[in-house]
This record gives sequence, structure tokens and C-alpha cells, in this order.
Amino acid sequence: MNIYLRLVYRNLRANLDRASLFFELIFPLFFIFVQGFGLNGIVPPFDIGNGKFVSYSLFLAAGAVTLTVINGGTNAGTQLWFDRKNGMFEQILMGPFTRAQYILSIIFATLIIGVAGSLLVFVFAFPVVGASFAFSLEGALLIASALFFGTVFFGAFAITLSVALKSSETFQVVSTFAFFIFLFTSSVFFPASSAPSAIQAASLANPLTYTTDIFRAGLFSAATSTTSLELGVLALEAAVMFVIAVLAFRRIRV
Amino acid sequence: MGTQDPVIRVQELSKRFGDKVAVDRVSFDIDRSEVFGFLGPNGAGKTTTIKMLTTLLQPTSGRATILGHDLRTEGRKIRERIGVVQQQDSFDQGLNVETSLDIYGLIWDVPRPERKRRISELIDRLGMEEFRRKPTIDLSSGQRRRLQVAREFIHDMDLLFLDEPTVGLDPIVRRTLLDFFKERVRDGLTIFFTTHILEEAEYLCDRIAVINEGRIIDIDTPENLKRRFGSAKAVEFKLLQGSSAELAALLSSSEGVTRLVQEPGTGTYRVTTARPESVIPEIYRHAERLGVTVSSIYISETTLEDAFINLVTENHGAGVVSGGRAA
Repeated sequence: MNIYLRLVYRNLRANLDRASLFFELIFPLFFIFVQGFGLNGIVPPFDIGNGKFVSYSLFLAAGAVTLTVINGGTNAGTQLWFDRKNGMFEQILMGPFTRAQYILSIIFATLIIGVAGSLLVFVFAFPVVGASFAFSLEGALLIASALFFGTVFFGAFAITLSVALKSSETFQVVSTFAFFIFLFTSSVFFPASSAPSAIQAASLANPLTYTTDIFRAGLFSAATSTTSLELGVLALEAAVMFVIAVLAFRRIRV
Repeated sequence: MGTQDPVIRVQELSKRFGDKVAVDRVSFDIDRSEVFGFLGPNGAGKTTTIKMLTTLLQPTSGRATILGHDLRTEGRKIRERIGVVQQQDSFDQGLNVETSLDIYGLIWDVPRPERKRRISELIDRLGMEEFRRKPTIDLSSGQRRRLQVAREFIHDMDLLFLDEPTVGLDPIVRRTLLDFFKERVRDGLTIFFTTHILEEAEYLCDRIAVINEGRIIDIDTPENLKRRFGSAKAVEFKLLQGSSAELAALLSSSEGVTRLVQEPGTGTYRVTTARPESVIPEIYRHAERLGVTVSSIYISETTLEDAFINLVTENHGAGVVSGGRAA
């Protein structure tokens, strides 16, 4: 079996906390079925581009699916923390593996968690979004790209935090705080264009904005001329964050 | 690598952390099927040496070849043929013992039927049956230590690094493990072994290197170390009254006494000295003056611990490698 497959399988089996995964799935569904339906009657439909208008519950449902990407990212940091705390980080590095293989295996495991989680939430949210979902190859590619680059960015971000912070407790607090900032300066809950100018500016740098916008564009066939530009920015941000994570990871003292 | 070539050849290997020299120009060879002990007080540089030899840390200077591969450039090839039992705990917290062994074998690419066979054999041999389905997070430290040892024998290796592998084990399990290591050495395995338990080193090791403050101060067989540095005798005595702090204080400051300890539990005092013939009358003289009674007294054989303490505290021939073979 390929070395990455072996390490990814081990990461998924050894370091995943099933209870946390369960609540990571419940969290977006709560937004979709409680907040979405609760506000649907008082919030007017949104223009999401390409002349497409969607109700608030649909708008939020698409955003909530991408929320799973963040949760998947947090898992990357947690996996690394568990291995460092339990002595398995050094143990694996004293085996026939390189640091690059180890960190990539964490990113791959994170991708599986992030993408599988998003698809699962999408399946559960299908009663809400299904009626407006029109499958097309271009849409599917946009959805896959958004989930891929979003998970890589947030996985790499969580690994960087995990390396920089001294304890798992601090990592949990700081990552939760950071992810709230990403969440509320993105277009998950509301269109960034309708937010105050400071939040609008922050949203332009926020990869979750692009993840969500691209995902919506793919889901509702609402791609515009700016969608490919957004995809480029998201890919660039993911690549830069990945390089930062690799550099940070190489500095871990053993 | 030829069969006569050393499994490990270390030449002037050093490691610095900023201004601190953790390992200072150590050199030694280890042959196939040899158990090489690496003894030293806390912070002497034992674990840093293991981390360098297992490619986890880059040496600051010096050279080493492990199993014929260069330490600096062929780390991956080295790691494919070694096993490491770390001093610290290491376990996969989301798995039980059996699954943990299985997944460790999987990442080492051991075929499934072979993994099953080895797991079954190791669980039986190391007495792990009663906790084979227990989550690793719930294991006692002794059980976890056995898991760590078993895990390394799931995959093939030519060289095993053991960094204080028996910490926290009861004497029966400890002996089981040591005998298991001996069996594997007879099958051709080479072991690099650090421990604080000197009886273990004496039981298992063919040669011992003593390291202090980053430098190897001697390499020899356990017997030769005892002979060369165990010239001091140990006088052991008991008091009818159990203990006397005053007597202990007086004896500690007496001429010719290198060390005095009272064993917890038995209450026996152990005095290390080069001149037992003058220390014994001193014991009786002080005891009489303090009104305590010596109930038994005898001169005991020199142990490896005596030799080790003499060697480290007096730093005999610091920086000089004598006896045995140095690289």
C-alpha cells in the first residue's frame, strides 16, 4: 500500500475524536434548519450574482456547508497536537517516513474529513437546497475546488497555530477565536457587500469568503466573471498558507 | 555492509544547543548481535545521542554510520532498519492495544497475515492478553511500556534503540522483557541500551559506555568496569534501633568514606569505602559513643553501581576511552 495511504489511514483511525466529529456536523445543520428557517420570513432574497436570487435559508445553507471546511481544518491541528502530546510525532519520524510525508498525510486526512463532512452536511441539507441545485460539470468543479482549497488553507492554518502555541488548551482557545473571526468577516451569514466597509475590507482577504462564494456559484449555477479570479485568490492563499505551515512544521524541536 | 563491519560506527560526534554542549566528541563501534549499554547520570547526553543516531537530531559535528549508511545523508535507509523504544510514553490514543499494534504494523508495510501472527505471538510472549482490547489511553504506565516494546517487534529490524525501556515495570515483567531482548539478540539483533538500573545493564550488556557531561569517560565490559573501578568495598550494617541520623552524619564525614546510603525498607546502611578495615572500627566507635547497637555487619561484593558511581563522581580518566574497543 502507498506510504501516504498508510499514514492517512493511521491518522484517521488514531486521532479522530468521533464525538467532536458528530458535533462538527450538527453545528452547520443547526444554522441551516434553525437560523435559516427562523430568519427566512424577515430577510428578503439575495442577489448572489449572474442575476440569481435565493432565499436566506438557501443562502445560509450553502454557507453552512462550507463551515464544515473550517471544522475539518481544526482537525489538522488537533491531529498534530495529539501526536505531539502522546509521543507519536517523534515515534513516526523515527520510522521510515519523512517530515514532508507526515505533514502531507495530515493534510490529506484533513481533506477527507473536510470534504466528506461538507458532502454529508450537503446531503442532510438537501431538502433545503435540493430544489435549487442544478448539476453541471462546471458547478461540480467549482464546488470541488472550493472545498479543496478551503480545506488546505484552514488545515495548514491550524497546523501553523498548533506548532506556534505551547499547549493544546491554548490551541483550542486561539483556534476557536480565530475561526470566529474568519466566520464573521466572511459571506457565510450575509453578503460581504452589504456589510460595513471595515468588514468588507477584511472579507476581501478572508479565504472563507472565497470558499463560500465559489461554492454558492457552483451550487446555484451563479458563476460570474469574477468567480475565476476568486478561485485564483483562494488557490494562492491556500498555497501560501501551506508553505507557511511546512516552514513552521520544520522548526518543531524534538 | 559486510558481516564484519560494525553495526554502528560513531566518530567524534557532537551536539550543541546554543552554548551548551550536550554531546562532546563521542566515538565508539558496536558489533552485530552486541548489546551496548549507554550509562550516565541524568542530563549526561544519553537521549541526545540516541536522537542523533536515530536521525531525529542533526549532529553539530562528527561522523557516524549506522548499518553501513551515512547518518547525515541516508537517514531514510537507516530508519527502515531500526526500531526505537523511547523513554517517554508513545501511544495512539484513539485505539486499543491490539488495533494499535496492527496499525503500527500497517504503517511499516508489514503484510496483514504476518501482522496477525506477530501480534498474537507478542501478546502471548509479553503477557499482554489481559489488556489486549483495552484502549491505550486507559493503560497503566507499565502496560503502556510493554505496548511500546511489542510495537517495535511488529516490524523487521537489525538494530534496536532502547531508551530506559523498563521504567515503571515490576521486577517480573522487567525480567520477562530482558529475557525477550536476549532471545532476539541470539537471533542476530543488535541493541543500543540506556538505563538507570545498573543490574539490568549488568544482566543484558556485553559492553558499557559511561557518559558524563556529554563525554564518554569509559567503555568496557561490565566485569572489567567492576574490576577496574570497583576497588572500593561496601560495608553493610544494621542497627538494633533501626536508624541513627547522628551516626550517619558522623560516618559520612569520616575519612575514607566515599558514600553512605540507608536502604529504604530494610534499614541497612551501605558505606562505600576503599578502606573497610579502618571504617569498621569507626562504625563501632561512633555507635558506642551514641549509645546505639550494631546488630550485624559485613563487607559486600562490589557492584556495577559502585563502579559506576566511582567512575562518574571521580571522573576517572575523563575524556579517555580505555578498555574494550573505541572507534
